[in-house]
Amino acid sequence: MTGPVLSLKGVNKRFGGVVAANDVDLDLPPGLITTLVGPNGAGKTTLFNLITGNLRPDSGSITLRGASLLGTDPRKAALRGIARSFQDLRLFEQMSVFENVLAVMERSALPWQRGGRAGARERREKAEATLAQVGLTNWRNARAIDLGYAEQKFLSLARILVTEASLWLLDEPASGLDPASYDRFVRLVRGRLSDGVTICLIEHNLDIVHGISDRIAFLDQGAVLAAGEPRAILNDAKLAAIYFGERR
Amino acid sequence: MLLLQLLIDGLQLGALYALMAVGFAIIFGSTRVFHYAHGTTYILVGYLFYWLSDRLSVPWWLAALVAAAAAVVFGVALDRFVYRPIQRDEGSFFTVFVASFGVGVVVENLVVIFFGASFVSISTPLTRVQDIGGGIVISWLGIASILLAVLLFGVLNWFLARTDVGVALRALSENPELIRGFGLNPRKLSQYAFAIGSLMVAPAALVATCVTGLTPTAGHRVVLISIAASIIGGIGSLRGAGFGGLILGLAESLAVWKLSTGWSEAVAFVILFCFILARPAGLFGTRARV
Amino acid sequence: MQGYILNLLILVAISGILAVSLNFIIGYAGIYSMAHAAFFGIAAYSGALIAMHVSTSLLVAIPIAMAICAALSLVISLPSLRVRGEYFVVASLGLQMIAFTVFSEWKEVTGGIGGLTGVPVATLFGYRLHSLESFFGVSLICLALVTFVIYLLVYTSFGRSLKAIRDNEVAAASFGKNPVIIKTIAVAISSALCGVAGVLYAFHVSFVNPETFTVDQSVLIMAMIIIGGTGTVFGPILGALIIHLLPAALTYLTFLPARDLASLQQIIYGAAMVLLMIYRPSGLIGRSNVKDTWGK
Repeated sequence: MTGPVLSLKGVNKRFGGVVAANDVDLDLPPGLITTLVGPNGAGKTTLFNLITGNLRPDSGSITLRGASLLGTDPRKAALRGIARSFQDLRLFEQMSVFENVLAVMERSALPWQRGGRAGARERREKAEATLAQVGLTNWRNARAIDLGYAEQKFLSLARILVTEASLWLLDEPASGLDPASYDRFVRLVRGRLSDGVTICLIEHNLDIVHGISDRIAFLDQGAVLAAGEPRAILNDAKLAAIYFGERR
Repeated sequence: MLLLQLLIDGLQLGALYALMAVGFAIIFGSTRVFHYAHGTTYILVGYLFYWLSDRLSVPWWLAALVAAAAAVVFGVALDRFVYRPIQRDEGSFFTVFVASFGVGVVVENLVVIFFGASFVSISTPLTRVQDIGGGIVISWLGIASILLAVLLFGVLNWFLARTDVGVALRALSENPELIRGFGLNPRKLSQYAFAIGSLMVAPAALVATCVTGLTPTAGHRVVLISIAASIIGGIGSLRGAGFGGLILGLAESLAVWKLSTGWSEAVAFVILFCFILARPAGLFGTRARV
Repeated sequence: MQGYILNLLILVAISGILAVSLNFIIGYAGIYSMAHAAFFGIAAYSGALIAMHVSTSLLVAIPIAMAICAALSLVISLPSLRVRGEYFVVASLGLQMIAFTVFSEWKEVTGGIGGLTGVPVATLFGYRLHSLESFFGVSLICLALVTFVIYLLVYTSFGRSLKAIRDNEVAAASFGKNPVIIKTIAVAISSALCGVAGVLYAFHVSFVNPETFTVDQSVLIMAMIIIGGTGTVFGPILGALIIHLLPAALTYLTFLPARDLASLQQIIYGAAMVLLMIYRPSGLIGRSNVKDTWGK
């Protein structure tokens, strides 16, 4: 598959006087991790919301593997293979860790799921395996709200890992993790690229962005100021100035 | 002409409904409390008025004033002792609702114990109707209702536009995010909201005690009409709530043209359903988010 | 004495069904319906009419009443589940009021304020259930079945979906769940199960009138759930038991005037609800929203 998995062209979005997306062109190449960076309020989360259909763009096109995503909603986006995590995690707080991961695989609205008993057993096994992958097996029966910060981040990742999604939109998934946990996190995420997953990441911490990204897009005030190789963008003094608050 | 009579009756009813509805909207708009006990305020005013003027023979105007004052006290007390403690602990919308409901249940049953479950009413010459030509009749009380509504809305309008508290309340109604961020003193503001909102219920209660009579369960309908009017008019719009109340009063009255009185009482809720189905943001809703 | 106790237990069983079915949506889905008494009434009237005109068999009356309740639940679900939860509460209250008006005004069908009297004795497989013992047995079986169905739903994928939507609807949707359909089904199931109680009630007391099916009744059912605990499937049954035992206990306090007992009960429940909401910061859902920080 040669073209980009996700392509935004000329996307605009305003809220009253605020320009949340300003003529955005962005391509997500397959099998790579693209990181969106930029100061607070640059419109990074807004782009995710536009892609998944939480927000409708005022103009422009958004295509997933060539097919338009306009008019979709978060649920349909999920059914088309997009998995999204949130900055504020949005775990199912009163449910156990195991249930959080299992529930995500059960999409049917009816009181029964596809695949009968065998399907149910498969899903359970997959949930257990994923919990083992992220190191949460010991927390299996704890309520999600009772987990520590790092564990909650990994639970959020587990929910993504367990979907069959081919495009991941992760909103600051590893922020605040200690270096050891962060490495573990990155390894888990990178490990899935070979399965054909394409990942778009929002990350704040410029120190760690370099280690995780294949490509970077720098946003400010809703516009993509630069996109390309990490080294070039991270060494650009002008962008650094914007990021650290010194406006031109 | 029956239709004209019904229209006039509807105006009277609508005036009272509008007052109740705006009272609820002021409270809900600025405090985000689902004040189910708004209906409880209503029966409190009514029964107090009845007790004072009928049982204790207090002159009616004094009884009415005391009852209206009691409404204010009740509303503010609920805010201070029930709602605020819950909201402080980050109680959810529904926790507050259940508590409000609980208060309603307690007061309603106290009323049953002291006054019995059947209708009470006060007879006053003000309910006698005058023929104003063409067979159309209207009572002094009816005229008073409309005039009082106009007067109160005028005062309210001035208050909301010209005083600091009023402007703050209005701003809050349209932008509840301001509650946290703006540096307004929430405690004082909510007191004002509950005081004013509860006061607005008084005229309807006083009139009802004289005209239709009062029962302990009347409160449920009152608060539901208020909520329905707020939804129809649009959550966040005080004018909308008033307009919604007027529409509901007119609709209920005009419905009698084709339906019996019993059925006409359900009309308001059918209209409510239609709005939830087709236009949940209401007519003038500023918060179209659903 | 035995008759009195059996009568009480039958009412407990019926209330248990009401409470358990309501807790399904309040405790597990976070959907606050105040229309449960309306569905109770719709089923009671349906059951009475079926018994009087079609068949006295429970196996006929109960399924039909359940279907009617489920279908009518769509009247509140479809408009209001698309929008925020608060609208559902309002819509349910509206339905409750409309239902009461229908019960009181549709005289040709419901008998108006006087209601329907002379509901014949229930039958099951041709067996006339005219003894209290037999009716109690059947009520208990119905309670067990309803509780079992809810237990099954709660501990399988549907229950997980409901809880996920309750805990974070946005996240649930972003993982492919359809909150509107799931909630609509949940409300339909809850209303249908509530219908079982309605039919049993109509047969047991052999009359139905509007007075029984008011907002206050909805509040009573909610009180059972709050007191019994919303976090478990069985808790509401305990709540039903307590709420039915309370009046019996009150009658022993002979200094209380008999005609005020019903009101006093309600005052106690009302006060309990207010106090619980104020002093139990976890609110309605049986578990705490506060993080347990022990042992970390």
